Amino acid sequence: MITVSELTRTFGTFTAVDDLSFHLEKGEVAGFLGVNGAGKTTSMRMLTGFLPATRGSVEIAGFDVMRQSLEARRHIGYLPEGVPLYGEHRLREMLEFQARLHHLPRKEAKRRIGEVLARVELTDRAEHLIGKLSKGLRQRAGLAVALLPSPDVLILDEPTSGLDPIQRISVRNLISELASEHTVLVSSHILPEIEAVCQRVIILHQGRMAANGTPEELMREFKRESAVTLEAFMPDPADAARLLGTLPGVESVQQGERLGIHYAFKIRCDDDLREDVGALAAAKGWALRELSFEKPSLERIFSRIAFEVEAESGVKPAAPVVRAESAPIAITPLLSELPLAGSTAPVEPPAPKKIVYNLNPFDSGRDRDLGKPKSTGGDDS
Amino acid sequence: MSGVWIVFRREMAGLFLTPLGWVLFLLALVVNGLYFTAFIQVTGGDVGASLSLALGGGYPFWVIMVLLPPLLTMRMVSEEARSGMLEFLLTAPIRDVSVILGKALAATSFLGLLFGSNLIYALICMSLGATLDWGHIATAMFGTVLVSALFCSIGLVASTLTNTPLIAAFLGFFLNVVMLSLRFLEGTLKGLDAGLRESLMRKVDVIAHFQSSFVRGALDTADIVFFLGWTGVFLFLATRLLEARRWW
Repeated sequence: MITVSELTRTFGTFTAVDDLSFHLEKGEVAGFLGVNGAGKTTSMRMLTGFLPATRGSVEIAGFDVMRQSLEARRHIGYLPEGVPLYGEHRLREMLEFQARLHHLPRKEAKRRIGEVLARVELTDRAEHLIGKLSKGLRQRAGLAVALLPSPDVLILDEPTSGLDPIQRISVRNLISELASEHTVLVSSHILPEIEAVCQRVIILHQGRMAANGTPEELMREFKRESAVTLEAFMPDPADAARLLGTLPGVESVQQGERLGIHYAFKIRCDDDLREDVGALAAAKGWALRELSFEKPSLERIFSRIAFEVEAESGVKPAAPVVRAESAPIAITPLLSELPLAGSTAPVEPPAPKKIVYNLNPFDSGRDRDLGKPKSTGGDDS
Repeated sequence: MSGVWIVFRREMAGLFLTPLGWVLFLLALVVNGLYFTAFIQVTGGDVGASLSLALGGGYPFWVIMVLLPPLLTMRMVSEEARSGMLEFLLTAPIRDVSVILGKALAATSFLGLLFGSNLIYALICMSLGATLDWGHIATAMFGTVLVSALFCSIGLVASTLTNTPLIAAFLGFFLNVVMLSLRFLEGTLKGLDAGLRESLMRKVDVIAHFQSSFVRGALDTADIVFFLGWTGVFLFLATRLLEARRWW
């Protein structure tokens, strides 16, 4: 239904879209994903024929958008970014205008207007002035206008921006419903949106296509994006890293910063290796503080692509994503073990019955059996 | 062709749904009324002569022609470019030239209505017993519409050049004044062969073409072609500029 080949657009020396190629079948719902300025809107404008491409071609329903522009445009329903509508008209008049532009016979137009209004739940607003509609209603009005001629291809530029969460869900459902009759291309910078609606995700980054596939495919492709985070105390972190690296399925082990007396590791692997890592820790007698698994969500893949450079540099930038609760670090209970501890105010709210491992190196540390809790009870801090 | 009609209907509705259209209408009615009264007094009660003064014979007509069309057309492209409506129109199954023609037609019709208000005075005078040469009035009215079309197409060119309606309006005034004063270039072309200069001036002299035929009640195809030709040039330019906007 949509065939894009080697689409490129430059503005002066700036390349907004670079060599974009993809193909969408009838009934497919695809999501354009990218940070602001990634080239989503420019691509969509070229797809609809509003902006001529510097190089490459776009075919909609078999028609080249530049050479057979009018034929191609008859098959496109386009909702531009700012939802342009004539504010001085009533919603019904705007829809009638769109119906005339698409040469719908009068009877058919009347029926379709009723249908699309019901579909976007604006039947009771048909006689309202568009200029007086709220942003969310306006957004849905724009959707109704794009839907009216029941085009084969729907191109929606950020259809959910400015909507409240409830409307967002209803628009999302609407888009899923439309999939049966139309080929839909939605752009968004909101990930869950795309993840929920689209069978195919096209990730744009700096004008280039960074990924293209179903969410599952992408996750498989970026499988090494799954990671196990380990935080533990151990006598020899370098040796621990080496040992972790020998576990089957481990791609790489990155040693992060030292948090108090704990060492953090980020183990990139192709599967959930928590049990293996846990077993290793138990065997080696490391005192575990955190062991968590991070699935390769689209979000990870997306941020991975968007922040490629930073992500490569180590655990640090990814750290906030992994350890949400880590900030104050567990030094506080350890401090409490020190003689001075009585005077320090409790930093964490007292938790009911908590096992505290004493890992204080100043307190007979190494010789103690770390496998056993030294004390129990949350009221001693 | 149907595209022109669709855009024309939308633009007419737009003009009458916004205050601007009504304000201009009111202004023109007041000005027309005042001048008609003045003309009647000047001509000593000759309704026919007053009407031909009001429809192109007098200077007030040209002042209105320079000032009003840019105000009508200033928003037609520039405002739509700013609001994104142009993106909607240019991705709708309709040709760029239909968009421009529809808008030009709407602006011209609106101006035609404004100047047509003079006919009300004619009707009133007739009901009071004046005898009128309706053929003459119809010809003058036809000419007025042709001149309106010319200045509206100049206004549209100005409007496609900028995203700010106000700048479009001023640019329109400027271009209109330039268009009207082209014939004063004659003095600077002294070096040219007199015959060539003469024929050159005849090709750009809007006022002379208008006053030598329509105002006198004569329908001359040469003058009709003159106005249609210039209007076509500017409409062509506006269409090309609209297309060029896609590249910006």
